[in-house]
Amino acid sequence: MGEVIVITSGKGGVGKTTTTANIGAGLSMLDKKVIIIDTDLGLRNLDVVMGLENFIVYNLVDVIEGKCRLKQALIRDKRYENLYLLPSAQTKDKTAVSPGQMKKLTSELKETYDYILLDCPAGIEQGFQNAIAGADRAVVVTTPEVSAIRDADRIVGLLEAEKIGKIELIINRIRMDMVKRGDMMSVDDVTEILSVPLIGAIPDDEQVVIGTNQGEPVISMESRAGEAYRNICRRITGEEVPFLDLEAGSGLWSRLTHIFHKN
Amino acid sequence: MGRRSSVRIAKDRLKVLVVSDRMKCKPEACERITRELFQVLSKYIEITPEEFDVSYSRTHVHIRLTGEEQ
Repeated sequence: MGEVIVITSGKGGVGKTTTTANIGAGLSMLDKKVIIIDTDLGLRNLDVVMGLENFIVYNLVDVIEGKCRLKQALIRDKRYENLYLLPSAQTKDKTAVSPGQMKKLTSELKETYDYILLDCPAGIEQGFQNAIAGADRAVVVTTPEVSAIRDADRIVGLLEAEKIGKIELIINRIRMDMVKRGDMMSVDDVTEILSVPLIGAIPDDEQVVIGTNQGEPVISMESRAGEAYRNICRRITGEEVPFLDLEAGSGLWSRLTHIFHKN
Repeated sequence: MGRRSSVRIAKDRLKVLVVSDRMKCKPEACERITRELFQVLSKYIEITPEEFDVSYSRTHVHIRLTGEEQ
């Protein structure tokens, strides 16, 4: 029986779609059967981040309305074994799907897939309600900024009210140079305010932008952000993985000196 | 060391925002709640403001009395 995970944030532009793409790819690299669903009706993005925009025939709304069979709408990602994308509709509005319909769809998918990842739209309106309807678990993405953290707190409150069993936090785009100067909130600062268990912290890494340009998830690239995402995927499957030391430079020496300075 | 760290400012602003979002009231109302809770408790218990703290989580209001621990 699979698990439905909604990736949400409240605020737009903090990295939900990138996170969905990378976790989807990463879980499939761990030999899990994964489907990623773009639930942002009217603003289709996940296919573009994945580099699969040219393969779309049908979409989520077509499946819900019975215009096609599920299998016809799924795009299999040739680069990753067992990774499938169900794209969103670019033309329909957010009322085209109801929470009940989403719940029905995800519960059917649980029989076939290990993980069903839902890329949630920004905001707390119907799109959000649809995305969380069938979720067993939530990953809340934020950045170390006042507005993003405030919205994340609202989202966590709403998820708790909906009795979502497990809520975990990803802090995205951390710049350790700024944290050290006292000009960016640290991982500890953010978790202290939100009091939600952390499942990963991702350094601000230009490889993410390069990956998005190419339609290639950063998780399969040699990069710090990719490493952080790979660790998140292992934690999602239940493995205990120590958190990355975001301060560490690339060289062994700086990592070693950091260990000594820490204590 | 003249400049106040911007993280300090961010955290202070966030604490106010988050508490008023959670309580669905204005920040001033939260301050009044805290003040009045202290007044009520101090009618029955001997406490100083230093021993008293109120924090607001999403589901609970935590009243902490440090009392003799310190």
